[in-house]
Amino acid sequence: GPEAVDGLQRLHLSVAATKYPRKLDGKFVEQLQTVLCSPKSPEQIQVLCAAILREMSPCNDLVLSCDEIQDTKLLSLVSSVLLAQGSRGEVAAVGQRVVQGLERRLPEGQSARFLLPVLANVISLSPGSLTEEQTNVVSKKLADWLRYASIQQGMAQPSGGFFSSPRTKQPAPITEVDGAVATDFFTVLSVAQHYTQDQWLNVQAFSMLRNWLLCYGGKEQSPMDSSEGNSGTPLVPVPATPGRLLPPRERLRDKAFAYCQRLVEQSTRRPLKKEDGDLQKACLIEAVTIMDIICKQDSSYVCRAVSCLKILHSRICGDATYARALLPIAQLFLNHSKQAAVDSDAIYKHLFSDIPALLFHNPSLAFEFVQFCKDNSQLFTDSSSIFRQSFPNLFKFLAWNSPALISEFVDLLPFLLDPGTATEIFHLLLDLPCLTAALDIQLRAAALPVSEKAGADPAGKPATCLEAFHHPLYRSMFQYLLRSRAAPEDAPDSLVPLRQLLGSLAGSPRVVQCAETVPVLLELFFRVVAEFADGSLINQLVVLLLQRSDQLYDIPAFKEDVVLGSNLAMLCGLRPALVVELSTEILEFSGAVSNIQSKEAIFTHMAWAVGEFLSVSHDKRCTVEQITRFFETLEAVLFEITQLRPQASTPSCAPRAISVLMATLTKLAARSQDLIPRVSMFLSKMRTFVQSPAVTSVYCEEDLEEILIRATELMNLLKMPSVAQFVFTPPVASTRFQKEVNDSLPLALRMVTQLLEPAAGSMPV
Amino acid sequence: MVRAFVLLAPGGPAPCRVLYARTFGTPPGAGPGGPRQRLRRKEQLLVVARQVASQCQLLQASLGRPSSPQLPQLPDEPVSLQDAPGGVFQMSPGDPFPERVTVVWLSVLALAFALVCEPQENLSLAEITLRRLAPRLLLSLRLLGPGADVLLRPDAADGLLDRLLPHGQMLFLNERFLQAMDRELGLKVSR
Repeated sequence: GPEAVDGLQRLHLSVAATKYPRKLDGKFVEQLQTVLCSPKSPEQIQVLCAAILREMSPCNDLVLSCDEIQDTKLLSLVSSVLLAQGSRGEVAAVGQRVVQGLERRLPEGQSARFLLPVLANVISLSPGSLTEEQTNVVSKKLADWLRYASIQQGMAQPSGGFFSSPRTKQPAPITEVDGAVATDFFTVLSVAQHYTQDQWLNVQAFSMLRNWLLCYGGKEQSPMDSSEGNSGTPLVPVPATPGRLLPPRERLRDKAFAYCQRLVEQSTRRPLKKEDGDLQKACLIEAVTIMDIICKQDSSYVCRAVSCLKILHSRICGDATYARALLPIAQLFLNHSKQAAVDSDAIYKHLFSDIPALLFHNPSLAFEFVQFCKDNSQLFTDSSSIFRQSFPNLFKFLAWNSPALISEFVDLLPFLLDPGTATEIFHLLLDLPCLTAALDIQLRAAALPVSEKAGADPAGKPATCLEAFHHPLYRSMFQYLLRSRAAPEDAPDSLVPLRQLLGSLAGSPRVVQCAETVPVLLELFFRVVAEFADGSLINQLVVLLLQRSDQLYDIPAFKEDVVLGSNLAMLCGLRPALVVELSTEILEFSGAVSNIQSKEAIFTHMAWAVGEFLSVSHDKRCTVEQITRFFETLEAVLFEITQLRPQASTPSCAPRAISVLMATLTKLAARSQDLIPRVSMFLSKMRTFVQSPAVTSVYCEEDLEEILIRATELMNLLKMPSVAQFVFTPPVASTRFQKEVNDSLPLALRMVTQLLEPAAGSMPV
Repeated sequence: MVRAFVLLAPGGPAPCRVLYARTFGTPPGAGPGGPRQRLRRKEQLLVVARQVASQCQLLQASLGRPSSPQLPQLPDEPVSLQDAPGGVFQMSPGDPFPERVTVVWLSVLALAFALVCEPQENLSLAEITLRRLAPRLLLSLRLLGPGADVLLRPDAADGLLDRLLPHGQMLFLNERFLQAMDRELGLKVSR
């Protein structure tokens, strides 16, 4: 009764509510199983018992077996418990029982409809569960159900009323989704008021068809082979002669292909019920995917498939609602068009040039499109191909759907990067949030009524971003940002005005979410580029880095998170000679005192790199004049920021910048020893600096102490110039040991200091 | 095939809660047996739920909507799925399932529904399936009314899943088939 139901529901809750094991008495578990299988139990009770047993899985006390069960619904329910145990034996046993049920004639009133999903689950969990013979039996049945379901509507269940006369009614024919009377065999897109059992089986059969073919559709041997999609021509090709049936596998392939062709035709009809439209598209995708699998398993189908799909493509390529179906079509062509000697470039071009620009805002399409790219990553290795050249379009998906797609792009980015695309992608990554904002405006502009699209007065300045979209001042910048193809030569001189204009959108959640993905991608970018970049590309990137460091979209935290400084240092480490080659740019950057405040991380890393790499041992072209020039430039900056009485105009900066500048000057002096007296004098003044009252109010005590300690160490080192030279100009670290020596520089400094100023009672070991 | 179905409350400020979860079979040989297998299953589903909750909140934010929408006044008011936010994302092998999975999710008011699919599954069909499951679950479990206790009605949820997603098998049901199924289940779904 209802109490039993209530009790079982509460029991289920208490078992399910915790992830830790709850022990149920063994006898009780046995009772649950008995009740489950008893024909007298009401359905609700059975369902609850099954739910509890499943919740407890894996279950040691399980004595359930499906052998004796005749009722197919119950069999399905019991199977759900057995399949939850995680035991290969159980799965196989269920598989055997189900095939047995399908083979034989079922008792009256029972339907095979409930068995097919069980079978689908069995082969998904453990593909090897069925024997060859059994798969043949099932293949044969599937083929029959797919092809020969009744083409007349089912009858309503007899209502049993006094005046009902069901027998006088003629069964009506099935119709298509657009209302036309069907002239061909029944499919999932066939419409009826009531359905017959074999029509239900038709639906079930198609629903599991793809997995079945993947598992058992290929060459006859182990099912795992066909799931890898090798094109299996049958071992013994058997042509279909009249009066002679194909072997089950080939026959199923034949019926399946015909079914898919029919679905392709049915899927472009205009449905009477709007919701059927969604199903049509899902069917279309499934049909094309199955055709692809069939072509892989038997290449004799390729020609038919290709010609069918070319026609389909031309019908749907202009309809945005069918866009998702373009992907499996393109996939089939990628897999087989060589064989069919068909030129499919137009299909790829449309897919990559037009679709992302139109439909970047559709999250499902975006996901599937990026998956397609990942699945076919070998396409991107050819740098001239349409695929590779379309990367600006691909990034639109990420710009709009950042949280969902960032991990996919982390996988995809390496395939897009090569010497030809690196600098353009670098700019693109830094401008990704800008792209988000621009896409937003593009969408809003497209939604405007035509009258408003005329745009504002071209002579004046646009008042809003939306007005700016068509305004001559900004139009070409927008077009560049929203381009579909790689265009390194077309870059406008500067996107700065556009970035400023888009500043009003910098707080929008979508833009912020996009900005959060950029640091990850930049790190990856540099890691990948470091592997293939040659000298000229590295130099280019360093210059761009310095330039872009203050041309970033003005989103709070974006500028800090985008860690350009450490990557700058990494690039210098890769190619130390660039410090000499790009000395003009670096001097200009390092000499601007304002940079130490506004771009502190980059400045600090640049200063460090100068100290590390500006030496003859890294580049023979390094001259004394150059060292002196860098020295003077950095000395001027350090002087500016360590004034005893800082003025309002003096930039403030982190103590670390001061330390790094001091160290760099010392290193340079060690290499050009005329400079030593200047540095030593400077360093000796640091004591006064850190004790000056104006300064102590700006920096904290620990930081000032750190600066003083560092200054002292450096000074002491300079008292032994030859040691300093050795410490600061080690041989270029070509071995790991040498690298470790470099990394232990602070330690070396401390040791030397201790040698020179032994603290009372402490002796270096 | 669908590996699992999860019904969760994404929370907002509150942590997300799994209200109902159903796996469709356990792959044999994958991992520990016994109680650890069950523990692992529960934890995997919780990881999925958390990820769905996070994606849901991020999407709501980007659409400019409040993260914890109000429930409608009348429990029987038909819920429109037109603008229901949803999405799809992938979870890498090992995190948390041994193989890669794709998660399709849909958010309706303060709840979210998710299907954990095998890779290469038909995602269009998965979305259709979710859009059919959601209103029927809301109806059967009376999830919108006061005192709704989905936790105490697993049989209702199971009954629906056994028809619309039997053993994790998604079905290509056109509207008429769906109506026939609703008749079998005794459901009156507003259309």
